[in-house]
Amino acid sequence: MFGTLSYRKQKTIIIVSFLLIPLILLATFTYYPAIKLIYYSFTNWDGYSPEKPWVGLDNYREVFSNSDIFKVFEHNFAYFAMGIVQNIIAIYFAVVLNSRLRGRNMFRILLFLPYIMNGVAVAFMFGYVFDTTNGSLNLFLSSLGLKHLGETSWLGTEGLVNYALASTGLWRFMGYNMVIYIASLQAIPKDIYEAAKIDGAGSWQTLWKITLPNMKPVIQLNLFLTVTGALEVFDLPFVLTKGGPAGASQTYVQRVVETAFAYNNYGLASAMSVILLFFVVIVLAVQQLVLSRGGNK
Amino acid sequence: MKKKPVTLLGFVMILMLSMSLSACGSSGGSDDSASSGGGTDTTGTSSGGTSGSGTELSGKITFLTNRTDMIGKEYDDYVKRFNEKYPNIKVEFEGSQTDYNQQAKVRMAGDELPDVMFIPTIPNSDLPKYFAPLDDLGLDDKITFKDFRSYEGKVYGITTGNSTSGIVYNKKAFADAGITELPKTWDEFLSACEKLKQKGIVPLASNFKDKWPLNNWVYDLPRLIENNADFPNAKLNTDTPFTMDNGYGKAFSLIRELNEKDYLEKDINSTNWEQSKKDVASGKFAMYFLGNWVINQVIGAGTTSDNIGFFPLPYDNSGTVRAALSPDFFYAVSKNSKNVEAAKAFVKWMLEDSGYEDFAGFIPPLKDKESKLAQLKDFQATGVELQEGTPDDATVTDILNKAQIDMPAIVQEFVLAKDPQSVLDKWNKAWAKAKKDLGK
Repeated sequence: MFGTLSYRKQKTIIIVSFLLIPLILLATFTYYPAIKLIYYSFTNWDGYSPEKPWVGLDNYREVFSNSDIFKVFEHNFAYFAMGIVQNIIAIYFAVVLNSRLRGRNMFRILLFLPYIMNGVAVAFMFGYVFDTTNGSLNLFLSSLGLKHLGETSWLGTEGLVNYALASTGLWRFMGYNMVIYIASLQAIPKDIYEAAKIDGAGSWQTLWKITLPNMKPVIQLNLFLTVTGALEVFDLPFVLTKGGPAGASQTYVQRVVETAFAYNNYGLASAMSVILLFFVVIVLAVQQLVLSRGGNK
Repeated sequence: MKKKPVTLLGFVMILMLSMSLSACGSSGGSDDSASSGGGTDTTGTSSGGTSGSGTELSGKITFLTNRTDMIGKEYDDYVKRFNEKYPNIKVEFEGSQTDYNQQAKVRMAGDELPDVMFIPTIPNSDLPKYFAPLDDLGLDDKITFKDFRSYEGKVYGITTGNSTSGIVYNKKAFADAGITELPKTWDEFLSACEKLKQKGIVPLASNFKDKWPLNNWVYDLPRLIENNADFPNAKLNTDTPFTMDNGYGKAFSLIRELNEKDYLEKDINSTNWEQSKKDVASGKFAMYFLGNWVINQVIGAGTTSDNIGFFPLPYDNSGTVRAALSPDFFYAVSKNSKNVEAAKAFVKWMLEDSGYEDFAGFIPPLKDKESKLAQLKDFQATGVELQEGTPDDATVTDILNKAQIDMPAIVQEFVLAKDPQSVLDKWNKAWAKAKKDLGK
């Protein structure tokens, strides 16, 4: 029955049939909702009623005429800054744990564990850490004798709250970045290092001239994850501060969720999501442009 | 070379076919059982009626509840007692996720409503789209808040219980601080706070950070201060609903004053709701300004009922005090339920016989019932006037949503701001703009 088909055609059929289920899953749970989202962004649907009145570009006009909405991106900056620090620490640990170190698998697991934990659970946990009067962080600082520092309101001071929240993200995602870095380190051929050693290169030189350049594509990937992660933070401020004090830790996604669920404006919220999507694409494009100037394959 | 892929392809085809067939088989089986169950349900319902005796009603109903803590405990007892009257109705409980309102709305959008549920925040004009009228329960003359969730003369929701708001306090903490008489004016209230503070007790637990515990400051107090139950809806007639000299500004200023005098938690941006219940129970915190529903929770957190008192907040120095009466969730029966009559019977039973209002610490939903809670009796003995709330005007809600005004968030900003007037100005502007955009 299949004998009449050419080898190439048979191959295509097999590939397609094997990919059918993942493709269906991808289409139903990623592309279909995304298309729906774009459709909703042109309506002023309230989120539950059967009618979805078409309003054209009104939602987009409203988003861009309200400068308040974009101001919250200032809060996202803290997550980006912390994300850079997180990557540096991750590279450090990756290099250390890639060397012949006793119990390095143990350390790897310990550093990776936070990533496995549920984000909301982590947020709850850090709620106890950052609590001003009973929090473990302030108790620790006071017991060190830092009386004044031990009274800091980590989540209640306007300039500080975002960094406090972002440091939680650092704790959680550092291990994940590290694992990716370790994988890329292991892919660097050992003979390059041996050759460098014979030529008399020190460990700093090896790191700077061999390790980092070889890791460049992976660093790019991690930076991309960091940037999109920073733009899309939601669970931490949602659980820990509800955007407080007085909106100082509100993030863009949180604002989108509020618009949709608290103010029953799915249309506007969808438009905001679509705009975020374009933001990510733009940021990614700029990053690619800047980082690939050094001559990439 | 040519033969191999053919067999491989054939194998894959067979594999997929058999998989899809077996999948069909199992899903077909479950479909069968579901439809046969539904069949008996409908016949059971059609033969019964509300007026008929309990045995005639039958069927299975689901109740989507926010009280996940009662599933497997109190609810089991309710079902047992309910089945003594209606032996053929099977009641199942479904616990909601943390946000009942949102979950209910998602299920509305998906047309997958449970038989008995609470009404989420939707305008009353949408009620007939989803719910069945409840007038034939014969309770219309007895229920409180009859018009709150009705539309065009039909009642679609009945309150599960009512709350009033006031000061829930730890009697021992008051005694320790040397407060012998309950404050009847704002000045007396402040001096009581001062005494507590001197004793090292946090006078009032605001739970400021969590925002929702501020609801009573923004939804109850303004209308009490204005002595106008419909004050929240009166916003519609003005472009500047938030001013320093109306109910909103005055109510916001009260909590601001408490914060300025350090009568709230040490750091109001770092509060912990669960912990605060334990602290009020132990006397580390003295007071809450919350609904009476919290009384039982504080007792549950580790103290005895006679250590917890309840009195209305004296928001001014006039000496006459009012308190707000507000409904909690409203029971509703889904219009598309297969067993509407059984669901209605369950709602009626919950209202009349379950005793849920006492368990939850509510003022009973039926007018002719009295609360068994000692604190509520004391509260009413202070001679307080209970002011029944009015339903939210859908237009006002629309404007608030359009302007993205979240009132408890405004009071947060107001308390934290250096210049509170600027906060009011900002939101007045947002209100006026949204009102104009909507053409109201």
